[in-house]
Amino acid sequence: MAPLDDVVTRKKWDASSKTFDFFTFADDHRYGPYKRVLFEKVRGKTLMVAAGTGNDFKFFPPGLEFTAIDISPKMLEKAAVKAARYDGKIELREANVCALDYADNTFDTIVTVCTFCSVPKPVAGLRELRRVLKPGGQILMFEHVRSAIGPFGILLDLMTALTRKIGPDMNRDTVGNVQKAGFRLRRIGNVYLDIVKTIEGVKDPG
Amino acid sequence: MFKLGDYLAGVVIGIATTFAVRLFVAPGMDMVIAMMIGMAAGMVLHLFFGFLLGPVLGMFEVMMPGSVIGMYGGMFFGMRDSMAAGSTSPLSALAVGAAFGAIVVFIVRSYDQILHGTVLDTGE
Repeated sequence: MAPLDDVVTRKKWDASSKTFDFFTFADDHRYGPYKRVLFEKVRGKTLMVAAGTGNDFKFFPPGLEFTAIDISPKMLEKAAVKAARYDGKIELREANVCALDYADNTFDTIVTVCTFCSVPKPVAGLRELRRVLKPGGQILMFEHVRSAIGPFGILLDLMTALTRKIGPDMNRDTVGNVQKAGFRLRRIGNVYLDIVKTIEGVKDPG
Repeated sequence: MFKLGDYLAGVVIGIATTFAVRLFVAPGMDMVIAMMIGMAAGMVLHLFFGFLLGPVLGMFEVMMPGSVIGMYGGMFFGMRDSMAAGSTSPLSALAVGAAFGAIVVFIVRSYDQILHGTVLDTGE
């Protein structure tokens, strides 16, 4: 269950679950091939964070078994339908990324898709993911971030005032947050301008 | 299809911005005020079209070029209309707006191609 301070987040995403697939229709089609390439790197015991309505399950290689969590029970209700269609096994759980009930060093791979634009305390969330990741484990992220291109960056700052009420922040420094949480960056790729990115990090042993 | 959609979105935002500026900016208006009105109108319109077309074309792909069309186009069109310089007929003004929108989309798409791909790779 989500801690009390994240009830607001849960309610927001419960509400968004009604229109989520509509608003992400184009992103699903445009970015699907990039997600497929990223998810091919999944190995070992895997945790997907912020499953949403399960739109991204179809981009995982077939035959995997993994756990997918989300803070919103309404999102998970919709995700259950798509999890059933996946050629593999997906366990769905309601959980808050900042307070996971998994033991230290549990997972080999963690996958996030447009997650850390929405987590209220992103560095805390990433630190929690690092805790449950095994030494040598990897985090594979598909995220949108603040642009370093002047006008675009300003626009994303302005838009965030509006979008954070109904959904994600548009101006997060997720690459910086990944490093702040203690991950070593392995690979970064630009998918659209310098806004939509694939980010791969590693938890170094020790 | 997305490529065509991106250009159509740019053209629509360019035309809408031109139309709004023609509506609010009269010849002889203070140029600074005209430019600010144009910029504000363009920004509001690009947000509107972003939310309208985003689900079909992608939020970022509509809004990033749309912001440039709305902000800079709005200022340019406001400047022009306050001076009554060029594009005397509404049709020619709308054509310029459409062309401006398409050119901005082309530039943003080209820049996207430049930025696209790996920016860090440790080779692991």
